[in-house]
Amino acid sequence: MEGLFFNVNGGFVEGIVRGYRNSLLTGQNYSNLTQCETIDDVKLQLGPAYGDFLASLPPNPPTSALAGKMTDKLVSEFRYLVAQSVGSTAKFLEYLTYGYMIDNIALLITGTLHERDTRELLERCHPLGWFETLPVLCVATNIEELYNSVLIETPLAPYFKGSLSHQDLDELNIEIVRNTLYKNYLEDFHNFVQTHPDFSGPTQEIMSEILQFEADRRAINITLNSFGTELSKQERRKLYPEFGNLYPEGSLMLSRAEDVEGVALAVSAVSDYKSFFDAVGLSQGGGGLGGMGGGPADGKSLEDLFYQKEMEMSKFVFTRQFTPAVVYAWMKLKEQEIRNVTWISECIAQNQKERIGNFISVF
Amino acid sequence: MSGAVGREPVFPTRQSLGLMKSKLKGAETGHSLLKRKSEALTKRFREITRRIDEAKRKMGRVMQIAAFSLAEVSYAVGGDIGYQVQESAKQARFRVRAKQENVSGVFLPQFESYTQDGVNDFALTGLGKGGQQIQRCRETYARAVETLVELASLQTAFLILDEVIKVVNRRVLTKSSEHVIIPRTENTIKYINSELDELDREEFYRLKKVSGKKQRDNAAADAEILAARKKAEAEEAAGGVVAAEPETADILGEQEDNDVIF
Repeated sequence: MEGLFFNVNGGFVEGIVRGYRNSLLTGQNYSNLTQCETIDDVKLQLGPAYGDFLASLPPNPPTSALAGKMTDKLVSEFRYLVAQSVGSTAKFLEYLTYGYMIDNIALLITGTLHERDTRELLERCHPLGWFETLPVLCVATNIEELYNSVLIETPLAPYFKGSLSHQDLDELNIEIVRNTLYKNYLEDFHNFVQTHPDFSGPTQEIMSEILQFEADRRAINITLNSFGTELSKQERRKLYPEFGNLYPEGSLMLSRAEDVEGVALAVSAVSDYKSFFDAVGLSQGGGGLGGMGGGPADGKSLEDLFYQKEMEMSKFVFTRQFTPAVVYAWMKLKEQEIRNVTWISECIAQNQKERIGNFISVF
Repeated sequence: MSGAVGREPVFPTRQSLGLMKSKLKGAETGHSLLKRKSEALTKRFREITRRIDEAKRKMGRVMQIAAFSLAEVSYAVGGDIGYQVQESAKQARFRVRAKQENVSGVFLPQFESYTQDGVNDFALTGLGKGGQQIQRCRETYARAVETLVELASLQTAFLILDEVIKVVNRRVLTKSSEHVIIPRTENTIKYINSELDELDREEFYRLKKVSGKKQRDNAAADAEILAARKKAEAEEAAGGVVAAEPETADILGEQEDNDVIF
């Protein structure tokens, strides 16, 4: 049934995204890129996929400029999609940008806390996380004003409400604020795709799978990264999203974990994560935490494996039809592509060819 | 006597000889000290040059690794964390202490790095993703900065030593107590010695003259006395028959016997 009316509103957007998907770099492209000797060669290889966007770059551009231009392309394509979408699809796309908004707001809060001129920070904001009232945030000069009069007006207000007070903004580490917001965002997004009548079909299945994975990944990462910091177990637990494959038993065990083995034990109920931990040798308590710097398992770190899994899930999304979830999958793939190209060009620029194959390509 | 460098304008006296001798000794000691100092400094200088070379090579490697670990961070985090790290860093974790080292009288500053434990301002950065990469990147950069501090310490020492060695060498060579002062002083001493010898010889001759004169004078005086006595004896012999009877000379008396001259 869902296929019957989906195309009335969402068909065009879906078609466009499928077209975009075909322009993603393939394994062949990547192997060409790894053969490059200079950044100019990389630029040349990217020519067919990125075209005009790279034209304005100077010869041998810095890697960050290259990544910036690639992001520009992603942004302009996404904006086109937003402009073309209506109804529930538009709402779905809006949800996609909230993650970037959280980053932007965290940036501005940091600036306000340290009494910097926040206008300068606007340029640093991620363009996808831009919303109309973002510049208004710069008006606030202290954190109380920011909280009471400005943040309320942003789309993120519900995520602040109930879990963060303005004292929290002042006292808590900005990372905790950011992760709290992100947790609320993930839960809200999950709730949105679960309950919205338009998404009852494939969207609900796909997105809940993806979001659950995202939630688990965050929980595991937060746990691993909090070891050795002043983040207490209670605070840590508050940052875990309250859904996902690990929730509730796994989350509880994660919150009690004191070392990597504890985390491995907590996630052992889910076979995917267990295999990740086995692959990087963390379950045996081996060192090499997130060993991109030469850990076990041919240099793959836990983060790499998570990215790999995410990319595979995103790839499979394209086997489904009649869903805006393809937009989500396309964005994730595109972001990974930008990261990959950045990585490859960094390796070329710094003459570290031996690690150049450390990217993730699924096509 | 005069040589190529001349001598000091002094009076050739024993006092100035003593002065000159102590001056020569001072100059020689000073010269050898300067030379030893210059040698010590040059040795140190060479060692520092070698260590700078090593440190620079090491810095190249370390900076490369550090830059690469930053690339890893940007891959893992997928965004720019620079601003956040800048803002959350409040206290210096990596600190530098300056010390002074004394190398043959030259004070060389030395920088020593140490990490302030417990200062960990952005431990939570990258909590959601990439935290481990960020921490590792920080460690790599701490090592890089350590190398930089070492290099800075060496380079400062290098500059200062370079300057000092130039000055010392100029004093050893150009102003050259070796070629001017020491020969000059030696010349002066030779001059004074020869003058003093001359004086000695003159003095001796004079003394000889004086004693010769004295002898001659004595001889003349003796002859005079002798003549006077002879005359008196002759007078005595003439009127002695009359005059000498009444009083017989006391042979054992105190009066001097006249020399008997045959």
